[in-house]
Amino acid sequence: MKQMMLGNEAVARGAFEGGVAFGSGYPGTPSTEILEYLAPYENVVVQWAPNEKVGLEVAMGASLAGVRALVTMKHVGLNVAADPFFSASYMGVNGGLVVVSADDPAMHSSQNEQDNRWLAKAAKVVMVEPSDAEEARWMTREAFALSEQFDTPVLFRMTTRVCHQTAVVNLEDPLEAPARGYKKDIPKYVLLPGHGRLRRHEVEKRLLAAAAFGNESDRWNPVFEGSADVGIITSGVSFSYVRETMPEASILKLGLTNPLPFERIKRFAETVKKVIVVEELDPYLEEQVRAAGVDATGQSLRPYFGELNLPLLEEALLGEARNKVTVSLADVEIPRRPPTLCPGCGHRPVFKVLRDMRIHVMGDIGCYTLGALKPLGAMESCLCMGGSVGMAEGLERFGGPDLEGRVVGVIGDSTFFHSGIAGLVDMVMNGSKATVLILDNATTAMTGAQPNPGSGVDIRGAPAPRLDPADVCRGVGVKRVVVVEPYDMENLEEVFAEELAAPEVSVVIVRAPCVLNEGVTFAEPVELDLELCNQCGLCIRVGCMAIREKDGYPEILADLCNGCGVCVQVCSEGALTIPEKVGA
Amino acid sequence: MEKDGITNVLLSGVGGQGILTASRLLAMAALHRGFDVKMSEVHGMSQRGGNVDTHVRIGEAVPSPMIPKGGAHFLVSFEKLEALRYLDYLRPDGVAFVNRLEISPLTLALKQPNYVDDVDRILDEKAPHLIWVDGTEMARELGDVRMVNVIMLGALATRLPFLEEADWEAAVKERFAKPKVREAVANAFRKGAEVCPGR
Repeated sequence: MKQMMLGNEAVARGAFEGGVAFGSGYPGTPSTEILEYLAPYENVVVQWAPNEKVGLEVAMGASLAGVRALVTMKHVGLNVAADPFFSASYMGVNGGLVVVSADDPAMHSSQNEQDNRWLAKAAKVVMVEPSDAEEARWMTREAFALSEQFDTPVLFRMTTRVCHQTAVVNLEDPLEAPARGYKKDIPKYVLLPGHGRLRRHEVEKRLLAAAAFGNESDRWNPVFEGSADVGIITSGVSFSYVRETMPEASILKLGLTNPLPFERIKRFAETVKKVIVVEELDPYLEEQVRAAGVDATGQSLRPYFGELNLPLLEEALLGEARNKVTVSLADVEIPRRPPTLCPGCGHRPVFKVLRDMRIHVMGDIGCYTLGALKPLGAMESCLCMGGSVGMAEGLERFGGPDLEGRVVGVIGDSTFFHSGIAGLVDMVMNGSKATVLILDNATTAMTGAQPNPGSGVDIRGAPAPRLDPADVCRGVGVKRVVVVEPYDMENLEEVFAEELAAPEVSVVIVRAPCVLNEGVTFAEPVELDLELCNQCGLCIRVGCMAIREKDGYPEILADLCNGCGVCVQVCSEGALTIPEKVGA
Repeated sequence: MEKDGITNVLLSGVGGQGILTASRLLAMAALHRGFDVKMSEVHGMSQRGGNVDTHVRIGEAVPSPMIPKGGAHFLVSFEKLEALRYLDYLRPDGVAFVNRLEISPLTLALKQPNYVDDVDRILDEKAPHLIWVDGTEMARELGDVRMVNVIMLGALATRLPFLEEADWEAAVKERFAKPKVREAVANAFRKGAEVCPGR
């Protein structure tokens, strides 16, 4: 049966067809939808983990129990899970284990564009790379068996354009994958140095066996025979660009990209006059192909970073792009449309107050990172998940008198549960005086409202235990924990000032539901009396989509305004008001 | 459709305008007719009030999910600025359907207007073939402003002779479960088609 599926949905389908019993992961674009699409399948246990490391660890336990397991994350999530990932390579598996890494070339929704193919090579595990949605399905379906065959976690490496393409997928019936049962095996599963040294040999044997498999596999590493003039070696989404740019070329398409099938690559190279490697991001394939003694070009023909696309590849391989751009936009300045906080968002008053107080904000990953953008401009760093807490501690301690009592870490609730807690423990144990704000909307908003430990529901919407961040903070030894709501900005400023002045760690939990996901409306749209407006522009500077400039005056867009009242509070002239509720 | 060719449709607008749903309906209709389809969409950061574009490619065999600049047969834009931003994707014979709607990007300061002056004239001048659609206005008249996406799709459909009415009906049936919604969608689709008579 044929069906249109998102690449991520196809991974979920493939996992179901492959007999997966367990799915875990942490939300992160472009990986998030995989688990969401897996959740409706019955007889599969699907759950979000507080972070990627824990998700992988639970999946390793499931694998040892003898069932097939899937773990999903974005590329930077694999950094968090790297500790278990690298050692799981030595431990091997019982039930098949597939780890999805969804990389984000061009950084559509990420802080870096690291190429995680290197991590498969460094960890010495088998890596699979699909090039479209249908391959995402069948390669997932069969990756569990590869994992069991070579006793290794499989790194399933995707990129944004494979995750977020929707294409035709051929559904198959699920495979039989009976549970293998737990077998105690101390030398294999306890990675003491003595055991690890023995397992190290097994890792090398696995790589040799997997390379031999790849050398002979027409299914995983197919050759598309064509002209003998040019032979192209490629993998992942790059294959689709190659196919379209040079349909006549000979192509070796690699579905297994660690370990590389060097014999197959050399045999292919001998059939063509010239070898070109086409890939996105780092010259991962090219460097290894050349080191194996094959004369190949690649990166010199394409940009060093960002996404590959048809025009770029056509220029590289054909000398010029097939499609001429005939409409010029050079003479018109088109304003950018960056993402912004939603109208009514509880993060906005927080950043408005912090900006006015001239506080130095160490930020974190989530919707609230948008507080760094104009006109709020109230965040001065954003490094990684959970990084705000430790960075605030370090900046406050070494920033000199100017920064003393003037530094906060700002982190969301999901990010706090993910990896902010350990930073807070560091603050407590080392006597930091910095302040942490936890912006608590009880969801993982930026990726589309996935539940987290503070949400009180699971991935299927069923009730689940709810952890209160305030209890967690008190539990790790923070004595000053204050909970406030954000929409009274005078109160917010008082609370911030008091906690910043305190000579010890303090946490302010700013609690407000996500207006987008909860559909929150506060009041009727704000009304503007133009006769009272003095054109000061303060209301514009709260950075709300529902207020725009018109003929030098503000204009309220009633369709967008939900009456949160933040702009009303900044107006000194009383020009903005919340209308009296009729019949309230 | 040209023999062995691929028809490229780029849809653009602002997050929340129903672009993804319109793109899915188009893709499902094409699959129903037996075509290969690939579509590329936007998730994550760019959906928080940012601009959104989806690429839909239809043909006998479609390798890659992305439309090259200068390669779009059709541009379907739900907002004027987002039509202008993607205009260089059009082929010389490409047709742009533009919804008469202006949504300002976030204003940063009061004395700093944040739109393109004279955007209608610039669009008319630059687009090789442009069809204005009063989509938002028509959707309001239908009593549901969200229907603008279906109206735009109805207008586009008049220029896709390789898709039959049955294909669109199948797509709507697959996408929407409630009979009332299906009926409203079919109605909005017909309204959109009236924008471009003479199919």
